[in-house]
Amino acid sequence: MTMSDWSKVTRPIPVPNEWTKPFWEAAKQGVLALQRCQGCGHFQHPPYATCVNCMAIDLKFEPVSGKGAIYAYTIMYHTGDKRFAAAVPYASIIVELDDAPGALLAGNLLEAPYTEAKVGRRVEVVFQPLNDDITLPQFRLAHAAPHS
Amino acid sequence: MWENRCKVAVSGVGYSQATRTAETPLATHALQAVKAAVEDSGLKMSDIDGLATYPELPARGHAQVDGISIVSVNCMMAMLKLPNLAWHIQTGTVNIGGAVQQAVNALLAGVCKYAVVWRAMHNPRGTYQNLPGTYAQGADQFTAPYGFGGPGQGMAVAYTRWLEKHNQNREKMATLAVTQRRHGLKNPRAYFKVPLTREEYLSSRMVAYPFCLYDCDIPVQGAVAIVLTTADRARDLKPRPAYLAGYGQRLAFEVAGRIASLSSYMEGGRSSAQLTWQRSGFTPKDVDVAQIYDGFSASVIYGLESYGFCKEGEALDFIQNGRIELDGKLPLNTFGGSLSTGRIHGLWHIIEGVLQASGRAGERQVKDVNVSFVGASAPIVEGTTFIFVKEPY
Repeated sequence: MTMSDWSKVTRPIPVPNEWTKPFWEAAKQGVLALQRCQGCGHFQHPPYATCVNCMAIDLKFEPVSGKGAIYAYTIMYHTGDKRFAAAVPYASIIVELDDAPGALLAGNLLEAPYTEAKVGRRVEVVFQPLNDDITLPQFRLAHAAPHS
Repeated sequence: MWENRCKVAVSGVGYSQATRTAETPLATHALQAVKAAVEDSGLKMSDIDGLATYPELPARGHAQVDGISIVSVNCMMAMLKLPNLAWHIQTGTVNIGGAVQQAVNALLAGVCKYAVVWRAMHNPRGTYQNLPGTYAQGADQFTAPYGFGGPGQGMAVAYTRWLEKHNQNREKMATLAVTQRRHGLKNPRAYFKVPLTREEYLSSRMVAYPFCLYDCDIPVQGAVAIVLTTADRARDLKPRPAYLAGYGQRLAFEVAGRIASLSSYMEGGRSSAQLTWQRSGFTPKDVDVAQIYDGFSASVIYGLESYGFCKEGEALDFIQNGRIELDGKLPLNTFGGSLSTGRIHGLWHIIEGVLQASGRAGERQVKDVNVSFVGASAPIVEGTTFIFVKEPY
């Protein structure tokens, strides 16, 4: 069995701040929204004070599709972090979204064996509520595109 | 070329007796290393008038207590009470290589004559990266909820990216671990005293795939130190000096919390090395021996590629077939690297670069060394690189 057991994991809960609040507010509504420069159109993540591409300060959060590919991943075996020890081995992945090249999001590969994590594999966002305030964007393998 | 090429040299070097656990306070390790370096140079402690360190404890979630888990300049000064202290600094970026380079600058500016730089590393009790807590603040809010903890996983994701982008095989890394361990057996101060076989590497437990146990340096409690001075003064001291032909440092400016971008991991190393080649007038082909930071084995890959020793995607092939042996084309991490000495960060790499350049590396001395290269920090995000030479030419 290569499915990670997440049932006993206690995930630390993100604390939104002035840069990140819109991200978490959107996620709570089931929308993935990333910070975008209103000058050059560059998407970036994590949120920052300025556009890291053109130095502009006019930044707004805009919805993105939530489809992308695994940019990189690691399979965690070490049980040093007791909050996650019950789930090892598990896949922590980094996703590059189709709509936002260069903006890299962390996640876990859910609903699939951890051995399915591979660079380049297609994934899509799913939303995992942690409590009444915080919903975590997560990823699963993308469903095969219907034949046209 | 740099107008200050070969105007500063490293003279004495010193070590504490590193231990696996924190049996004695870190301050005593730092003091032992500094005293040994000063003695090795033939100086008196009262000659020392410059102090520099990078005091960071890389283990997260542990108290930073001066003298116990870090050794600040203030702590060192309280122990040494140097009557002639004229300059001091503790740096906050680019790890210990940055502190060494600040000492070089101070010597060139003439604000001190003999500077000591030390790196002291604490091994805290319990889990090294200790990240308890219900909440994830700041940059951690985008990583910690997914089980991303310390730098190991951050390095591991870049390594999978590298492996699969270049269709490479992690088993080739066994050559690095096994060869470095063999070098380390010729270093009486190395932590590991027994050989490592290819089979042991390949069958060892996974920590964070693709990293197995032997891809990670072992945390220890210890310190190392060096004495730097101007080339003119260094010639009059006890050991043969190693002259600094050039250096570089560079942060690949990165937004906190953004991880795994292989290109930004390479950028710090590439730009730092470029400055070093330009200033020294050397190219990778001129290098006789290299020390490349190896806190995690993959750092050596990024180093070899971003510094220009081989092309991107080729480093795991580059290290095969005897190239990195003591009598190979590019002897690498000849003191065993951090994988053999334990986690003391890059100052030990600098020390070995110095010893190889000055012909003082003992049983592991590489023949006919003139140009000795050091990449003292992981090229991820931050790069510090050095070239030491035997003769100031």
